[in-house]
This record gives sequence, C-alpha cells and structure tokens, in this order.
Amino acid sequence: MGTSPYLPPPPPPPPPLRLPPTDPTRQTGKLPRDPTSSPASPREGIADAAMASTSSKHAKHRRIGEDDDEEEAEEELGRFDDFTIASSWERFISEIEAICRQWLADGPKILMQKGAETVPSYENLYIVKRELKHGKRVYCMEYNFRKSAKGKYSYWDDDIHSTELSFGVDEFLIISPLSASGVILDDPESTKLLSSVAIALSNCGSNWPAFVPVHDPSRKAYIGIQNMGTVFTRRFEADRIGSQVPIRLMHLEGLHELFLSKFVLSSTDFPAKVKVNFSMKLTYRTPEHDYDLEETLDSEATEPIPESEVASQPRKQWDDDCPWSEWYSAEDPVKGFELTTIWGGKTFEESFEMAEVENASSFDADSWLLQPVVSPYMVDDSIGKFVGFASQLHLLVNAFESSAEAQFLEDFVADNSGQDNSKSSVAVPPPTVIDRVMKDLFNDEVGNSNYVEAENKYGRALKGAPSDSLFAQFCLHALWFGNCNIRAIAVLWIDFVREIRWCWEESERLPRMKTTSSIDLSACVIHQKLQMLAICIERKKSLNREKDTGDVHKERSSNSMAPNKIRKGSAGVVPSMMLINTFQEMHAPYTQDAPLMTEDMHEERLQAAEAFGNAVGLSGQLERDILSSDMSAFKAANPDSAFEDFIRWHSPGDWVGEDKSDGSPAWPPKGKLSQRMSEHGNMWRKIWNDAPALPVCEQKSLLDSIREGEKVVHYLETLRPQQLLEQMVCTAFKSSADILNRTTYGGFKLMKTKMDQLYATMASTLKSLQGKSGTSDLAGDLKRLCQVFEHIEKLLIFAASVHRKLADAPRLAQSIFTDYFNYYLPKMGTSLESICYEKEFTTKEKVGMLEREAVSSLFRPPTANQSWRKVLSMGNLLNGHEPIQREIVFSVLEKLSNGHYSSQTPLCTDEQIETHRMYISGTSNDLWVALSVTSWD
Amino acid sequence: MDSSTASSSHPQLQPDFDYLFKLLLIGDSGVGKSSLLLRFTADSFEDLSPTIGVDFKVKMVNIAGKKLKLAVWDTAGQERFRTLTSSYYRGAQGIIMVYDVTRRDTFTNLSDIWAKEIDLYSTNQDCIKMLVGNKVDKESERAVTKKEGIDFAREYGCLFLECSAKTKVNVEQCFEELVLKILDTPSLLADASSGAKKNIFKQKAPEADAAASGCC
Ligand SMILES: Nc1nc2c(ncn2[C@@H]2O[C@H](COP(=O)(O)OP(=O)(O)OP(=O)(O)O)[C@@H](O)[C@H]2O)c(=O)[nH]1
Ligand SMILES: [Mg+2]
Repeated sequence: MGTSPYLPPPPPPPPPLRLPPTDPTRQTGKLPRDPTSSPASPREGIADAAMASTSSKHAKHRRIGEDDDEEEAEEELGRFDDFTIASSWERFISEIEAICRQWLADGPKILMQKGAETVPSYENLYIVKRELKHGKRVYCMEYNFRKSAKGKYSYWDDDIHSTELSFGVDEFLIISPLSASGVILDDPESTKLLSSVAIALSNCGSNWPAFVPVHDPSRKAYIGIQNMGTVFTRRFEADRIGSQVPIRLMHLEGLHELFLSKFVLSSTDFPAKVKVNFSMKLTYRTPEHDYDLEETLDSEATEPIPESEVASQPRKQWDDDCPWSEWYSAEDPVKGFELTTIWGGKTFEESFEMAEVENASSFDADSWLLQPVVSPYMVDDSIGKFVGFASQLHLLVNAFESSAEAQFLEDFVADNSGQDNSKSSVAVPPPTVIDRVMKDLFNDEVGNSNYVEAENKYGRALKGAPSDSLFAQFCLHALWFGNCNIRAIAVLWIDFVREIRWCWEESERLPRMKTTSSIDLSACVIHQKLQMLAICIERKKSLNREKDTGDVHKERSSNSMAPNKIRKGSAGVVPSMMLINTFQEMHAPYTQDAPLMTEDMHEERLQAAEAFGNAVGLSGQLERDILSSDMSAFKAANPDSAFEDFIRWHSPGDWVGEDKSDGSPAWPPKGKLSQRMSEHGNMWRKIWNDAPALPVCEQKSLLDSIREGEKVVHYLETLRPQQLLEQMVCTAFKSSADILNRTTYGGFKLMKTKMDQLYATMASTLKSLQGKSGTSDLAGDLKRLCQVFEHIEKLLIFAASVHRKLADAPRLAQSIFTDYFNYYLPKMGTSLESICYEKEFTTKEKVGMLEREAVSSLFRPPTANQSWRKVLSMGNLLNGHEPIQREIVFSVLEKLSNGHYSSQTPLCTDEQIETHRMYISGTSNDLWVALSVTSWD
Repeated sequence: MDSSTASSSHPQLQPDFDYLFKLLLIGDSGVGKSSLLLRFTADSFEDLSPTIGVDFKVKMVNIAGKKLKLAVWDTAGQERFRTLTSSYYRGAQGIIMVYDVTRRDTFTNLSDIWAKEIDLYSTNQDCIKMLVGNKVDKESERAVTKKEGIDFAREYGCLFLECSAKTKVNVEQCFEELVLKILDTPSLLADASSGAKKNIFKQKAPEADAAASGCC
C-alpha cells in the first residue's frame, strides 16, 4: 500500500490508499500538448492494462481467475464452437463484447421496452444488468443510461447520478464482483478487469466510459477508462480519505493547489497561470431545534427556577399554539431544512483567490435551494405510529362497533367484575382523571359558549354538535379519555349525564350552550336535546322568579270589576288600524313563543300526520293550539274585537280591502274577509268562537318546560349505547376536523382543497350513520374515513409547520408544501392498505433573492454552548454554521486546434475539451476525490 | 300523466309501486298551494280554509314506465306556523315553491324566506326544487313577469313553470316534470325504493385520487 498520487501522505496510521507510490501524473495526468513524453507507464494501472495487448493475456488472466486448473477444466467444457479463442480470459472479453454489442444495438428505447429498471430516485436514469462468470467469480456488469439524452451539462442538477457528477460522464458501464459474493478487488485485479472491458468496448467501437471498483465499497474507490474516438482516452480514478484530512485540504486554497498539482509539474511544462473553472455546491442543515435549551436560556435570562419546579414545568413544544395542542402534541414533521447554495462557473488563476470565495457571504452564491428534512413518520402508516385525532377516531369507531353488544351503557361498566381492569380494551382512567374532565366540561368560567358555526359549507351536512358546544367538548374528551374504549366512554357518559341532571335539578345554566330560542335541527339529537334543556332551565328559572313575585300579580287581577272588558296583555297599538265594530285602536297582544321541538319530536309529528292522514282535527293540533292562543291573547288585548279584526292583524292577505291611498285610519275599515275565510264552516272562525279572552300570562304555556326538561334528562339517561356512539362518531369527526381547520397554514391552496374534501368525505360517510343501517359495512367505511383523516391531519400539521417556519417567505413555503403534497399524494387513496415509499422526498425549491433573508434566519447563530461542540474548519459559514457537505468541481478546458490533433479527430475543431476535471466531495474531515484526465495516445 | 287512484289515507294499503316520492308544497299564505293540490289529486277547484298545520294527499301515477306513489304534502303558509312546518320537510324528494303571479311580495319572499327554509330543513341534499307561479288566469293583475321567474329558477337551480289551479293550465305538467327529474337522480331513487342499502364508498368516493398500488 502506498500513498495516493494526488493526496498528500496522511499522518499515521495511514488510511488504506489504493494507488502505487509512483506519481502517475507524469503520464496519466499529462496534457495533450506534450505528445513527446514517454508513453511507458511505470504503473501497472489504468490505461496500460486497458490497452494491453493480447500477448500478455496468459500472465494476466491468472489475476482475475483464481485457479489455473479450474480455468483449464472449464475451458474443456467451454464453447467448442469457436476454436479461435484460446483462453478463458479471451472468452470473458468476448462475452463482455457480446453483451455490449447487444446493448449498443438495442439502444435506450428498446432496452426500456425489454424491462430496464429505473435507478431509484433518478427519474430519467435507467439501468440494465448482466451477470458474467469468469472462473469461479461472478461479476455484474451494469449499463446506466438516460431515457433521453441529457441536454446542456449541468453539474448540480438534482437528478444527476453521483458517478456522472464525479467524473463528468453521461452513460456508463460498471463492472464489479456480484455484491452478494463479498469479493473485493485489489489493485491488479481491478486493473485487469478494466482492461477486459476496455478491450471489449474498443472492439465494438463504443465510447462508453467503464468503471471498476477497487477495495471495499465504503471507500468508493474506482478506476475507469473511456475511449473517446480514435485519438483521446479519458482515464478516471477516485479515492477517499475518511479521516485525518490534512489541514491544507480542508480549505479551498489547498484543494485548488491539489488540482493544479495534477498537471502543473514544472513551469516549462505549462504556463504559469492556468485558468481553472470552479463550481461549488454547499449543503447546510439547520441544527435540531432544542426546545429545552431555549427554555433554559429564556429562564436564565429572567430568573433561576428552583430545582423542584423545573421538573414540573411542561416541556415546550413546537406546536404549543396550534389549535390541536389542547388535545395532543404532534411530532414536528419538519425536522429541519437543508439549504444548498451553488457557486457557479467562476474562473481562477491563483490559489489565493480561492480564499476570497471561502470568506464570501453565502448571500453571494448564485442560487439557493431549500429542502425540508421530513420526519419519516409522515409516510409511515403502521398503526400506532401517528397519534392524533385520526388514531383516536379509529378507537372511537372500534367502540362504536362494540356498542351494539349491550342495551344500556351501564352494562358496559358493570359487566367486567371478573375481568382485569388493566386490559386495555376495558381500562378506565382513575377517578381523578374523570374529575378533571368534568371540571373542564362544566367549568363555569367557560360560561356562555362562544361556539361559532363552521363556515364550511359541509359543516351543516355533518350531523354533529357544533364545535365547542357541551356535547362536542364531551366527545373530544372521550377521544382522549384512556384509550377511548367503550367501557371508558360509558363511565364518562354516566358521569356526564349525572352532572346534567344536577344542573337541571338545581336550575343551573348549562355551560357551553348558546342561549337561544330555537333548536338547531342540523345538529345531532343530543345537542338538540341539550338546547331544549338549556331553554327549559331558563324558563324554570324565570318561573321560580315569578313565583316569588306572584302574589302581586294576583292582587291586581282580582281588583278588576269586569275582567272581560279590561285590556290585558297589550304589546302596543298597531299603527293606523281601527277595530271594525268600535272606534278603538287595535292593540297587538303579547303572544306565546311557538313551542320548540327537537328532531325526534318533529319526526313524531310527521309520523302522526302520516298515520292520521287528513282526518280532520288530528294533525295540526299544535298549530290549532297556537292559533287559539293567539286569538285568546288578541281578544284580551282588544276586548271589543271581532273575528275580522283578528284576521286583519294576523293574516292580512285574507282581508280584501279597498285601496288604502292615504295613511289616515278610516273608520269603519272598508273591505271584507277573503272568500276562503268567509266560507261556511271555516276552521278559523270555529277556533275564534271557542277561544276565551286570556292574556298570555294567564294562558297555559305551549311549552311545558318542566315536562320537556325532564323528558330530555330521561332521554340522556336511557340512551342506547349505539345511539350515543353514532352521535359521538359524527360529532367527534366534525369537531376534530373543525379544530384542524382552525390551524393557520398560510392558506395553501392544495391544503384547503384537501380540507374541503375531508369535509365532503365525512359528510357522505357519516350520512349513512343516520340511515340506521346495520353497522357491519359501515365500520369499514368509517375506518377508511379514519385513514383519509390521518392523511389530511398529517399534511395539515406539515403545512402548519412549514408555514410557521417560513412565515416570511410565503411563496417558498407554499411551493415546498406543494412539492411535498405531490410526493405524498399517491398515498391518499381510500384503500386501507398502506402505501410505502422507496422513494425519499428530495425535491428542492429555488429560493428567491428576496427570500434569502428569511431562509438564512432558519440558521440561528449557534449559542456559545453549541459552538464549542464543533471545531470549525471549512469556511463558507452561514450564520456560523459550517456546511455539512461541500462539493467542488475544478476543470480545465482546452481549445482544440488542428495543429495539435490528428485530422481524424471526430470532435469539432472549435470545440473545447475538458482535459482535467476534479470532483471533490465531503466535509473537512472526510474527503472523496474523483479525477478525470483526457489525453491522447 | 296517467293517474289511477287518488287516495288520501293508509298509504300502506298500496304496496304495488316502484317508488314512493314525497313532494312538498311551500310558499306564502294564499298563493294557492291547497288549490293546486286539490286540482292535481281531485281535479276540482273550490275555496278552502287557509291551511292550519299540514295536509297531505296520495296519488298513484304512471310516469316513464314506472309505477309511482306520490305523497304530496301541503303546508300552511302562515308565518306564525313556520317553525312548525319544518317538521314536514324531512325526507322530501321534491319541493315546490309556489308564488302568486299577481302578488309581488309572495315572489320576493321566496328568496328572502322560503329558499332559506329549504336549506335549513330539507334532509335530502339532492332534493329537486321547483318554482311555480300560480294564478296565471289573472293575467291582467300580473305583478311578476315570467322572465323574473326564469331568472330566479336559474339562480337557485330549480325547475320552473307558470300555472293556474283555477283553469288547470300546467298543473299536471308541473308535477310530472318534477317527478321526471327525481327519476333522473339516482341518490333520490335510492331513498325512495325500499330497502336499498347504500355504501358511499362503493357508489362515489369524493376522493378523486386513484389509490396507488401498495408495496411492502
Ligand atoms: N284566480 C285564481 N285563484 C286561485 C288560484 N289558485 C288559488 N286561488 C285562490 O287563492 C286563494 C288561496 O288559495 P289557497 O289554496 O287556500 O292558498 P294556500 O297557498 O293554500 O294558502 P295557505 O293555506 O294559507 O298557505 C283561494 O281563494 C283560491 O281560490 C288560481 O289559479 N287562480
Ligand atoms: Mg293551504
């Protein structure tokens, strides 16, 4: 083992370096302008082996094969149809040649049709492979090619293969021992192998570059050769120093010198100043955000916290101010960012100029590209991997499935005397947890619920309780109560109903319920019932108040001499209306509110109407009661009124009057009842005749609040488990979606569309929950819905994270989200099977000039604490952060002129040719160097 | 339209039909809802008391080769009964909004009140709406032009016809068109034919994305 020809000798212990001690640059690295230098190579390497004549074949083939005897044995069994081939090595070469001819003849199109595979994560790059035997060894030869020829060469394209980038080639061959064989080639053997390929390629007139690995794969050492027409040959080699890189090579200046040393051997050989093309790609990665560190730093700034308190302080989370954080904390899907800065085609003549580049601001780079580092949990669908609303909803759906097993919720609680409470399917959190939940639910502080109706157009189609209402809050608590099994839910519900019963008995206002005078039929029945109860509690409270002051009322009414003639319950005069029979103004009475009805009451009425048909007097009883109540109140407010007066006030359309041209009230009013109102046997007149004059306060209430309230509590207390779970499922889906929907994520359009789609999917799936169909096929639908929910929940968390990190670069944030969204999209089918990804997310987004500031702020200057962890040695710092990878391409271009080259040169005369090229990749302490040298022979 | 029986009670006694459709008449008091129903089911016209509560009639018809049982619900237009009327919206496949072409306020109330009531109380997302201008026999008193009716129908996505319960003009057509449209709407048919189990994922998934094939 010697030292590398282009790397200075490393300090002991020496890393394994491949190349022999002699400096090969004298030959392989020579410039074409020196055609007189000796072609004899002191090295057994690269070119010479490749160009080796067949005369030495016997000596050499021994190195590739293992054992001569075996070779001989094989030879006897070998192909006897071609007696001109004398050795196994020749057969090996001709085998390679045959394969290459086939590949050449096929061309990319046919090879793809024949099933060439794409190279993972390179869309345009394809690969075909063939196995070859030589002696006992099995080799694998692969041909890498592009679907369509790559256009203008650009180093830093994302889809460029590392081999292409390293050596500046397009399509290429690699021949290596079959990876499974564990065989590692040493120098002479790989040289021999390369020679074989080179001869074969030359025989079929191919210009493909060919590469052979040397030593163990981690070293990524290669040698290679490319036959370029009749005149030029390009030789390649690559090697790595994995540790203890000399300080000189940590910096650009030293690397530049290293490149120069490949051909500037003496001032006579070469003009003193060489124009070296330079291009560089630097990759930075944001440091892991250390919230604990931030916390301690913050607290240090204020005042020290006693030891005991530190432990009890909740850890600060990235999503603390996100809407879901009230229920859970999500792992940040964006672990950080990778920033790639590219310094493009600069030309340098002096090494010291490189130092300037090293000190230049990152803002001077030609382009910036940003890529999020995404947590693997985003694409991992395995159960339990992601904990969020989706996972809890899944548990709730399981509970829904088992809810049919019992008639009463109490059965689930009682029914496990023999069972082990620790079993997760029946585990119930301890009473302290229940207490905490109840306290939150019935906390008076929350007071008047401030729930807002979802603006989403699908919100109404989802039959759940409105977000933040009492039942919605109950459902959310249930999701996170233990593991949301049916027993835990039953326990929680029973306690919940007990609290509600207490509110009813004590006439305490229900928390989280809007004070309203109507019932929202689009909500689930439980919410409607709670609305009804809230109203009944209000009525009950005011009845109690009236009771206290009731005596005063009674006295006043008993004082009156002729009760029928005294105006009662007037709400005021109706403008320009006179009674028909007496010269008096018409008074509008106070009327009773129409009774409130929950959905099930409406349904009952509907069924009653259907059952009775139009058997007069049975359907519409409620309407008749209201009409009668109105008439009584009108009579009380207008003691001398007639039926006509009531109609003029109540149903003006049925009073056919002469045109009232002036506003002044005429008396007696002109006109008559409409035809239909004056028909014989008119229902309205009948009711009028029967209605006593009674102001509202003396009437029987249309809504019996005591009875209705009691009915509600009874409903809640006897609710079937399945009915409860149905409504919980609807409400929990809706409320969870509403919470997610409240997240600020920069309004990314695709996210918004997905969110709308989630609502639409929920609406259509949950609709069948109300259809009272069997649960068997429904459960499958609901589980699929959970899956859809999980996808969207994850994407939303991702969107929120990207948005908040790049709040100052909204365009960039949206583009990055779009890239990831498109990458994620194939997972979003509705199938239950998970779709795994081989492909990693690697899309980079170009950072606009004006966005650079925002991006650079992602790289917080390291704290004193952090900076000593690392010894900085590379330069090109971004806010004090060293690149995690530096890639450089040095190259020298030579103009071809006819004077220098043979006239048969296939290359155009005014074309430039890259004579020397060096690619350097790594960090200050791990350097990989690839060299390509073109020469003519 | 070919009507066979007109019955008003015990719909269960005629199980011999392909679909049962529930149709609902709404609109201001006095626009002629009850008159339209009477004309349609009994082919007569007489003055009726203003509706209190609700009334419904059943009529068997043959349309497009299907035996249909229509249950037509006639509601009260009186403002006072409005919240109670909401009971009767549930499950309707077709809703007819009626106005009186001679009374402009009955027309403007459709957008101000009735269309909103449908949004609030209709339980069938896809139910077919129809706009009907009644009393065209009183042409001289017309206060709402036909064009205004058409424009409204376009805006709210409903069918539109002008008719007269008194002269019989367009009354049958009005119900027929509505029923044809319902027959064209699969989701409504699923509800209307008994015992049809539905699985939305099998029918139509709102998720348009095709599921990619899995691995692992
Ligand atoms: N000229 C004319 N009058 C009609 C027509 N249809 C109904 N009417 C009259 O209009 C008045 C109201 O008719 P109804 O059918 O009771 O109205 P409605 O819509 O049922 O009213 P409510 O039950 O109060 O909601 C009656 O006097 C009918 O005779 C029509 O087509 N032409
Ligand atoms: Mg009527």
